[in-house]
Amino acid sequence: MQRINLGEFEELVLLVVAILNDNAYGISVMEEIEAQTERKINISAVHSALDRLESKDFLKSEVGGATKERGGRRKRFFTVTIAGNKALNFVREQRNRLHEQIPNIDFGLNQYASI
Amino acid sequence: MPQFDHEPPKWALWFLQLYCKPRIREIIEGDAYELFYKRVETDGLTAAKRKFGWDVLRFFRPKYIKGLEDINSLNNNAMFKNYLKISVRSLVRQKFFSIINISGLSLGLAACLLIMLYITNELSYDNFHKDVDRVYRIANGQGGQYTPARLGAQSKMDFPEIEEVVRLSGPYDQTFKVNSQIFKEGDGFSADSTFHKIFTVQFLEGNPDKALTEPNSIILTESLATKLFPNQEAYGQLLTVGGNSIKVTGVVADPPNNTHFHYNFIESFPHESWITVGNWTGNNFFTYAKLAPGATPESVEAKYPDFVAKYVGPDLVKYTGHTNYEEYLAEGGRQGTFTLKPMKDLHLYYPHMALGSQGDVNNVYIFSAVAFFILLIASINFMNLSTARSAARSKEVGMRKVLGSRRKQLVHQFLVESMLISLVAMILSLGIASLFLDGFNQLANRNFSYSDLLALDTLSRLLGLVLIVGLLAGSYPAFYLSGFQPLRALKGENKIGGGNVFLRKGLVAFQFAISIFLIISTMVVFSQLRFMGKKKLGFQPEQIMVVKHTGVLEGNLGAFKNQLLQNPNIESISLTDRYVSDRISDWGYSTMEDNPRSFSLMNLFTTDEYLETMGLELVEGRFYSNDLASDSASVVINEATKKALAFDEVLGKKLSRGDGEDFTVIGVVRDFNYASLKRSVEPLILRRMFEDGRIEGDWYAGDFLSLKVTGNFGETVKQVESEWNTLVQDEPFDFVFLDDSFNSLYEEERRFGKLFTVSSGLAIAIACLGLFALAAFTLERRRKEIAVRKVLGATVKNLTLLVVSDFTKLVAIGALIAIPVGYWVMNDWLATFAYQININNPLLFLTPVIVVAIIAWLTVGFQSVKTATGNPVKALRSE
Repeated sequence: MQRINLGEFEELVLLVVAILNDNAYGISVMEEIEAQTERKINISAVHSALDRLESKDFLKSEVGGATKERGGRRKRFFTVTIAGNKALNFVREQRNRLHEQIPNIDFGLNQYASI
Repeated sequence: MPQFDHEPPKWALWFLQLYCKPRIREIIEGDAYELFYKRVETDGLTAAKRKFGWDVLRFFRPKYIKGLEDINSLNNNAMFKNYLKISVRSLVRQKFFSIINISGLSLGLAACLLIMLYITNELSYDNFHKDVDRVYRIANGQGGQYTPARLGAQSKMDFPEIEEVVRLSGPYDQTFKVNSQIFKEGDGFSADSTFHKIFTVQFLEGNPDKALTEPNSIILTESLATKLFPNQEAYGQLLTVGGNSIKVTGVVADPPNNTHFHYNFIESFPHESWITVGNWTGNNFFTYAKLAPGATPESVEAKYPDFVAKYVGPDLVKYTGHTNYEEYLAEGGRQGTFTLKPMKDLHLYYPHMALGSQGDVNNVYIFSAVAFFILLIASINFMNLSTARSAARSKEVGMRKVLGSRRKQLVHQFLVESMLISLVAMILSLGIASLFLDGFNQLANRNFSYSDLLALDTLSRLLGLVLIVGLLAGSYPAFYLSGFQPLRALKGENKIGGGNVFLRKGLVAFQFAISIFLIISTMVVFSQLRFMGKKKLGFQPEQIMVVKHTGVLEGNLGAFKNQLLQNPNIESISLTDRYVSDRISDWGYSTMEDNPRSFSLMNLFTTDEYLETMGLELVEGRFYSNDLASDSASVVINEATKKALAFDEVLGKKLSRGDGEDFTVIGVVRDFNYASLKRSVEPLILRRMFEDGRIEGDWYAGDFLSLKVTGNFGETVKQVESEWNTLVQDEPFDFVFLDDSFNSLYEEERRFGKLFTVSSGLAIAIACLGLFALAAFTLERRRKEIAVRKVLGATVKNLTLLVVSDFTKLVAIGALIAIPVGYWVMNDWLATFAYQININNPLLFLTPVIVVAIIAWLTVGFQSVKTATGNPVKALRSE
């Protein structure tokens, strides 16, 4: 399988888009991330990540209807593609695999003594 | 008020619209608006507006900026690489043309680089002084450099506009004695204690405010201090000058080179009445004034006529014999005033007022013009060769067009090529310039170092120049070549059009014109120099040796003279206060009539042997004698003075200096040139000096001894020197022969001549390079034509003449342009000399034309003979 290249923030955005399902656009993604992780992020960073994910074919976008809240401007909704889904699954499986391989040792001071 | 009635800041929307790609803008704006409305609710309007602006700024990323789509596009990079590759290949393939192009251009650029260095330096004079814009030199009248002693102090007292003043005098040489060692140092000045308030001086030691307040104080520059006191502190030490002890009260950093007066040391003025009080008609000082901020020089100048009437008037009236200043003016006396010249203009615009910096704004213009012309010739070569080669490259252009090149891309390609040539030339020019830096320093009389050459701003200017040259010289071929019709180009029909040939020939003719003009200038300058060197001065300058500083002989003067007269080669000796060719000052005299007339006469004190020593011719009356006590008030004048005085019978007439000092004219000598031949002989008055060097009022003035030497010069100089050394301990022997001293007056002109020689040589060399390549190219193209002619019976002579006459026509056209321009410019230059060569001499103009024609014939003829003698079969075989 082709190597999947997904940064930490990109993974977060991709996950949030998946969570939001039909309602994923710039603001909603940003607010969701802020709510879930308590990180302060700028809207431009979210846009940037969304654009990158789209150019990697993990997301696709379509333009929705105009609303008054946006000063009459349209929204750009994002949905996760099959490739995006695969990437999420791959990353998750990889993580799980790695987690399972951690030997059950005491993380205390003993590790130094055992050397 | 609902949140939707608020609007985000206008500037942010405008900015977004300015940079953002339209496709994405709506989405970004939408998100920003949505956040804005939400924040109006939660954070308040001000914070929402601020955050809206911040969001917009954060979106300013390359990804969203419009117009940047292609900047990183691979295609463009690849094309650029391709341009470079093709350029390099075409340069390497056409080695002959490339070498000529690059070498011509690098020679031109090197000349420009050096001249740029010179001009930048000239324009930077005195700019390092703090508040230089407020510092002015006070000129006597419109440009007199010497001013009265009290002018500065009185002006400062009377005019609130003047903040500070300083007086200077110099530059002079001084002989210092330090612990029995003797040093003779030049570039010395005397100054008031306010020196450091006008000029920017960096004191390394000593108190700037106190350094020059006491008499017998001296400030040394760092380099002089280390020379006089090696390995010890100079500050506080004592020097001996002419028996007086002088204390070093300060050591300052060496002044920069770009200043109109370069000092080695500054002495304080002695507290004597001629300095502290002085006389309003005695002009002995240079006065500088610093104006208060906001004051204009015009407002000060407007007050000077009244100032002159108040202070100078009474003194003036006393010596002219009028009852008051108004009467003096009414009878045609010149109304005095003072004017202010900006200090930073002294170097270039008032060089006679600069204290030894030798600048001239005309030199800046001339150097710029020369640089421009040389670069122009090199650029013309460049353009000519590129267009000449166009036929060879037309197939390439056609092929590229067929394969889909747009015209713009072809233009780019040719521009890259010309830039490449220019950049290579630039690197070479740096090497050439550093090679010729020493020679250039002599030519420009400046002192540039390699670090000046490689300074960042010089290099950046050079780069700018190179880009301009590359663009200009490259643009014509680029647009011309890229305009070819692809089909015709590929079929080989693209013969060079008539207009193009005309332009190319016109440019070559123009190159010839510049070369001819420069050679004409060179010849005129050198003819004038030779003429001045040979001009009869009215005496034999090569026979007159002047021994300087004879004042230090004091009581031994008579013994020294007697010893010298023992030498059979020394015919006669005379003592004077100045010597001819050096500065002789003018004194005011007036006639003794009912309406006295004032004259300004060059004044020279001599002993009675002067007539014989100089070999002057007496036309009327007799010369004064040192043996006759009655001759104490007798004077001898020259013919120019006689003419100026305009008496029917001048002998016996009296001239007055005021205060009862009257002199009787007893003789007239024939005019002789006692100053530069740039000026005609001005009125001169010779006055008697006592044998012991005293003049009226028991002042000592016998500073120069003129010896008439008739043979065996080397031996005689040695003997005089050894006599000097037995009698004088503290002063080195210093002498000059008058022919050398006269020649040194024309140093500037000689440099001028050298500049023209070098630049005309350079211009011809570059033009020849171009001509050589162009001839080679023309012959290459006409090979078949010449072969056919030869087969049909033309001789080698016929064929050579055919080609050579083409180029001869161009020389003739060039001559038609150059001769009138040369005549006009050089006539203008000669007008600065009172004695000039006859510029209507046709040889001055025909010789350059013939020289250029011969060079052109040699360049072209060699190649045309080679082509014409070739076997015609070889040229025609390929048909």
